[in-house]
Amino acid sequence: MDKEQLILKWLDNNLTPQELEAFKALEDYDAIIKLSNYSQGFKAPNFDIEANYNAVLSKVNKTPKANKNWWTPVLKIAAILAICFGAYYYTTTLDTVIVTQLAEKSIIELPDNSSVNLNAQSSITYNTNQWTSKTREVSLKGEAFFKVEKGSTFNVITPSGTVTVIGTQFNVKQRLNYFEVTCFEGIVSVQSNDKKTILNAGQSFLIINNKTVNRSTVIKHNPDWIYNVSSFISVPLNQVLAEFERQYNVKIDAKNFDQNVLFSGKFTHDDITIALQSITQPLQLQYKKVNNTIILTRE
Amino acid sequence: MPKQLHQNICDKSLFESFFKTHAKNLHDFLFYKFGTHLNPEDKAQEAFVKLWENCKKVPPNKAKSYVFTIANNLMLNEVAHQKVVLKHQKTITTHHTNLSPEFLLEEKQYRQKLEQAIANLTEAQRVAFLLNRVEGKRFKEIATLLDISTKAVEKRIYGALKKLRQEIDEL
Repeated sequence: MDKEQLILKWLDNNLTPQELEAFKALEDYDAIIKLSNYSQGFKAPNFDIEANYNAVLSKVNKTPKANKNWWTPVLKIAAILAICFGAYYYTTTLDTVIVTQLAEKSIIELPDNSSVNLNAQSSITYNTNQWTSKTREVSLKGEAFFKVEKGSTFNVITPSGTVTVIGTQFNVKQRLNYFEVTCFEGIVSVQSNDKKTILNAGQSFLIINNKTVNRSTVIKHNPDWIYNVSSFISVPLNQVLAEFERQYNVKIDAKNFDQNVLFSGKFTHDDITIALQSITQPLQLQYKKVNNTIILTRE
Repeated sequence: MPKQLHQNICDKSLFESFFKTHAKNLHDFLFYKFGTHLNPEDKAQEAFVKLWENCKKVPPNKAKSYVFTIANNLMLNEVAHQKVVLKHQKTITTHHTNLSPEFLLEEKQYRQKLEQAIANLTEAQRVAFLLNRVEGKRFKEIATLLDISTKAVEKRIYGALKKLRQEIDEL
């Protein structure tokens, strides 16, 4: 057994009588014993178990535990309420967005009782909380007919331009390469590309493919699409077909001929066969319906 | 692991017997590790008070490590890297009255060297060494107390012994 093992056994009070003799024979023996003896002087002070236990008991009784317990559930409830309030407040300050799909129309009432008729595949956005007596503002993508209550300035913001009114009825049509505003009642101001145009009742403003087109007056009270008819006066065919796709949720394949030819006419939203005939006959076209696709060809 | 009879230590008599089993060990542990200046008795009491306050959350088999950890942390909060000084209690007096002045002087010097050497040990070594030599605890007992292996205890104690001898014998 080596020296270290022997010493360890002695430290652990684990020596056989023989091992003890061997330990005493070590040359380190005297030094180790002296070290061990003098170490006794570093003993921890006496620990009175009873006295300390009583001290613990008295400290335990002193701490007012009741208060802490009462407080925590109150805080928990307050925290939950705060979160609920925050979420509620946040959601009520969000914008209201209304979207129509293909072949869908919608009527929306604005906070001031103005109404908006939304045509297919369009969206308007407004914020109820920011609807004040000084500004009324909606964002529009697509086509909508507005009946605006008399009041403060009413703005319709579209990607192609902004329409400003004070209490009128007007139609805004904003599609790809097509921006048209028609005033039915009152006065409408259209701001587009740094140019401002004022429209009176019956007048309209149109930009097709970035070109402004002058329009003659129209004597009506509402746009035709409100009554489920789309009507066009000298409008490129591709715009007509695009509107057709929107109203019937179909795809039109008309690759084989010029889609810039101008079309004047109407088609109904209620009967696709009649609607197709309305388009194809004036242009001497044939149509074929395959699932959800209409194929148009020249006769 | 034997199935536990009690879910927690909130029972008064259970708490009392737990205290009587472990309180002195905790106190001695704190003393040997941190010295007397930081009031080990007080910290030991505090740890048991905290155990009682949290008795619902502490299962009995975790109670010992709980009080040891709490007490240790209370100490650490107070310690600011102070050097640990275990003052030699001059309780060990020899009975010889006719000792030569040289002997007494040599004894005094030895004690001082030992004091310094013990303070220079690592906390781990010091605690293990003193629990063994002064409290007379065996390796297995110390291992349970400190929650370490017996081998680790051996290493610490033997390391302490070696270091102490080196420091004292160095001339």
